[in-house]
Amino acid sequence: MDLLPTAEQDEIVATIRAQLDRDFDLHALAAHDGATSVIDRDLWSRCAELGWFGLGLSETLGGVGYTLAEEALLFAELGEHATPGPFLPTVLGARLAALAGDGDLAASILAGEQIMALAEPHGDADATAGSTVSGTYRVTDHGGADLVLVLAGNAASIVGAEQLHADPMASLDLLVPTAIGTVRDAPARCHLDDATGLVLRGTVLVASELAGLATATAAQSTEYAKDREQFGTPIGAFQAVKHRCADMAVRAEAATSLSRHAALAVFDGLTDGPFHAHAARVVAADAAVQNAQINVQNHGGIGFTWEHTAHRYVTRSQVRSRTLGDLRGHLGALLDQPAPT
Amino acid sequence: MNLDLTPEEQAFREEARTWLREHLPTEERPPEGKPMRDFDLAWQRTLFDGGWAGINWPTEYGGRGLSDIQQMIWYEEFAKANPPFTLNNSCTFVGNLHGGPTIIVNGDEQQKSTHLPRILRGEDVWCQGFSEPGAGSDLAGLSTKAVIDGDELVVNGQKTWTSYAHVADRQELLVRTDPDAPKHKGITWVICDMDSPGIEIREIQTMSHVTDFCEVFYDDVRIPLTNVVGGLNNGWRTAMSTLSFERGTAFMADQVELAATVEDLIDEARQRTGPDGRRPAIDDDEIARRLATARAEVAALRSMTITGISRTARAGVPGPEGSIVRLFHGELHQRVYQLALDIIGPDALRLTPVDGEGVWTGPYLQSFAYTIGGGTTDIQRNIVGERVLGLPRA
Repeated sequence: MDLLPTAEQDEIVATIRAQLDRDFDLHALAAHDGATSVIDRDLWSRCAELGWFGLGLSETLGGVGYTLAEEALLFAELGEHATPGPFLPTVLGARLAALAGDGDLAASILAGEQIMALAEPHGDADATAGSTVSGTYRVTDHGGADLVLVLAGNAASIVGAEQLHADPMASLDLLVPTAIGTVRDAPARCHLDDATGLVLRGTVLVASELAGLATATAAQSTEYAKDREQFGTPIGAFQAVKHRCADMAVRAEAATSLSRHAALAVFDGLTDGPFHAHAARVVAADAAVQNAQINVQNHGGIGFTWEHTAHRYVTRSQVRSRTLGDLRGHLGALLDQPAPT
Repeated sequence: MNLDLTPEEQAFREEARTWLREHLPTEERPPEGKPMRDFDLAWQRTLFDGGWAGINWPTEYGGRGLSDIQQMIWYEEFAKANPPFTLNNSCTFVGNLHGGPTIIVNGDEQQKSTHLPRILRGEDVWCQGFSEPGAGSDLAGLSTKAVIDGDELVVNGQKTWTSYAHVADRQELLVRTDPDAPKHKGITWVICDMDSPGIEIREIQTMSHVTDFCEVFYDDVRIPLTNVVGGLNNGWRTAMSTLSFERGTAFMADQVELAATVEDLIDEARQRTGPDGRRPAIDDDEIARRLATARAEVAALRSMTITGISRTARAGVPGPEGSIVRLFHGELHQRVYQLALDIIGPDALRLTPVDGEGVWTGPYLQSFAYTIGGGTTDIQRNIVGERVLGLPRA
């Protein structure tokens, strides 16, 4: 039993981090604010070449052959960098296509040739996926997408983007373009009627991304508290600030430890895998949202400006804590689980 | 990263489960005085005879030399065995989890061979003499003084918040041996025999009605210099190693037990009528949300404990990150019992003991200790801020 990354996993993380630092700088990405797509196709291909989209997919299915643990580490890094883009539907979509037997489709998603968007039911309890897709959906990263991963009920489908016309709305997070669309009996390119396992992996990945967001804001506040001086001393010397930073570190540690635990439990197929996935999602969402909010406060006036990145974490954590279910849903699902053994 | 138990750890779990089924006492723990002491020491002796004392202590000092993961497995199996008492609510706590480990790290061979076997065999009860009326969070400001006279220290002063002093044989005692040195430099960690002449113990009533809390007065108490652990005037460093155990693994049993408590509380909420007087409590939205949140948070606590064990295994010694778990645990423990009182309805008005089956209000009152003892949560936040995050001191 060990919840710290191995030396090999540390190397994977270092590689991911270097690429994100270089190519996904948040100030540079601001150029995409409000656009319907934040994807640069060349950049997307480079992520594909690094194997990011199939990190946890077995080699026989065209992936890199690591596990959900490494995938979770990738998503934690995406969270730490507040990286926008359809990483979640890409990783889940490639797996869905591979599991459904459409190897060519999986390969094109893994290669970054076909760009994915994500559709989740939007206030429509009757939305259905499967061999056809119906209902009203919220589609994220719709602009420039070739395919849409649709998750509804227990099923998952991939449909052509032309099948799901959606009207863009003003997105809370300007780097997560969002649109609303209604579709009736759209044929799926491929589908799984029981996508429970796929969605559970998605839950772990969202939890990991949320944990990464919480870690980033804890670090941002701590750095600022060391640098910023008032009354002739770094503000981190004041208990009011120091204690908030400590609480942020505690929340980040809780979210990180539990989301790693959940990744392992789900990958190992343990009976308490769903318990840990829902628990991680609950704890990580709280950590991400609370830390992001307090991070603005810790920065004072500069934290309220558009130029500073603090607001990116606020809106991203709010969006991600509503991706693949919301707090209410995960709390309910968690309480329905048997006690862990 | 893995959740695998080695075959050895798996076998250990089975062994613990079987042994506990056969040996766990079924009678309630006497709540106070000599009967309590006798009960706790008898259980310690039973553990020793069964090979379960000092699970993560080195074998050369009578322990089993097993890993912290195995220690955690033991606590988990203990909690699952539905015991009639909680693990850390025992007067053997200080010896097993503070005094013993501190002597293992800092003691000389004589101290190790004298005290460690007696702790493991259930022959000595230890207590802690750290806090003073004028030195709480500012522990290094302690003023109980010890003067060297020949080959003895002569101690005068007062300690407080000393659990189990009235039933203890030994005390881990912090005294000021150099009043002229900077406050962290003039302190000595010494083993005090509690039957020494000049010691007076007064019990302190507590808000939870638990009667093991004491203050201790020292009037020319003579302690041989051979009882100094970790060197004269080096007591702050010795004490810090004690506290790193306390903030690292000493509360692991409590943490494990809290998970079992939340599951018990979920059962209560299924069986009891909720706030609307009709449906089960668990069907109430607010109670359900809080219960699910508590479930998620105790799961996080366990994962954080495993992360802490992983970190200690790599570093060799517990680091300041233990305060992260300690802080999270103390506040969560309180939230769980606050929730319990909202679930049990009118029974929230009935006082219960702290220990036993189906008790909630006693543990609720006791839960206030969890954010004060072993360093208040405010001090834990300072430690996290300064020693983990590297923020400047005030």
